[in-house]
Amino acid sequence: MPRLRRAMRTLLPMALLAVAAASAAAQDMGLDPPTELARQSLRPYWHVFIAYTIAILLVAAWAGSIAKRLADVEKRLGE
Amino acid sequence: MATAGIRRAGLALTILGLAGLVLVYWLSFFWVSTEMTQGVAQRIFYVHVPAAWTSFLAFGLAALTSGMYLWLRDDRLDRAAVCAAEGGMVFATIMLTTGPLWGKIAWGTFWTWEPRLTFTLLMWFIFLGYFMVRSSTEDPEKGKRFAAVVAIVGALDIPFIHLSVVWFRSLHPQPVVLKPEGPTLPGDMLTLLLTSLTVFTVLFFGLFLLRYALEGLRSRVELSARATV
Repeated sequence: MPRLRRAMRTLLPMALLAVAAASAAAQDMGLDPPTELARQSLRPYWHVFIAYTIAILLVAAWAGSIAKRLADVEKRLGE
Repeated sequence: MATAGIRRAGLALTILGLAGLVLVYWLSFFWVSTEMTQGVAQRIFYVHVPAAWTSFLAFGLAALTSGMYLWLRDDRLDRAAVCAAEGGMVFATIMLTTGPLWGKIAWGTFWTWEPRLTFTLLMWFIFLGYFMVRSSTEDPEKGKRFAAVVAIVGALDIPFIHLSVVWFRSLHPQPVVLKPEGPTLPGDMLTLLLTSLTVFTVLFFGLFLLRYALEGLRSRVELSARATV
């Protein structure tokens, strides 16, 4: 399914770029200051970024794998 | 609906879901207020909880279609079950990886064998078994029937996961939305959570439809291969 693969190839990197840009901008701008307790005891930023990255990567991997398998089956059907 | 129509609907929902995911991330970083005690780490909530909800939805759908397959023996139901179970595994993996990242901040440990976490890991392994059982029999029809039973057993774990924090002493927080007295989250957090739940659900159904179209094409390939033998 070449159209689906093309769409996925275009959209997934765009989505990843948008998320990366949002993460970078968030680090630059800073967020609402956490409470003193949170500041003392928490090292949260990298945990949040890793969690968000895992979520989008797993969804992207599933989408990519479906697109690849669809292309393979279409190819077999065309033979 | 024809395979082409299912694919188009799936692609449209997937694109909508991916755009929504970008919006959720944006809102999470720039709009929603920071929780008082946990600070920024609480933002993992907006990915972790929707992933949990979506995995329950997917595994529930897999169990429902599996049950109907056992009753009606319609291959389309088995195909829907395997697609839903695959999606459930993806979202359950997101839940099981983002949870420990939050737990390390909130509880000081990535993992603890408390009831909700243990039941959730059990559900993940049961559905891993679903795929193993499907491919472990020489007769594919038998594999489908055995796997359908495994899917139903796996989904029976979902109510235990939800209620385990009420029934047992648990480190995991109590429900903050699905509770008798109504949601106790502040307005902006609840709005973002509901947005994220919608986005994850749309994304799941988009990819589920694409995956279902793939299974439809695969069965067509198998049929044509059998016809030529």
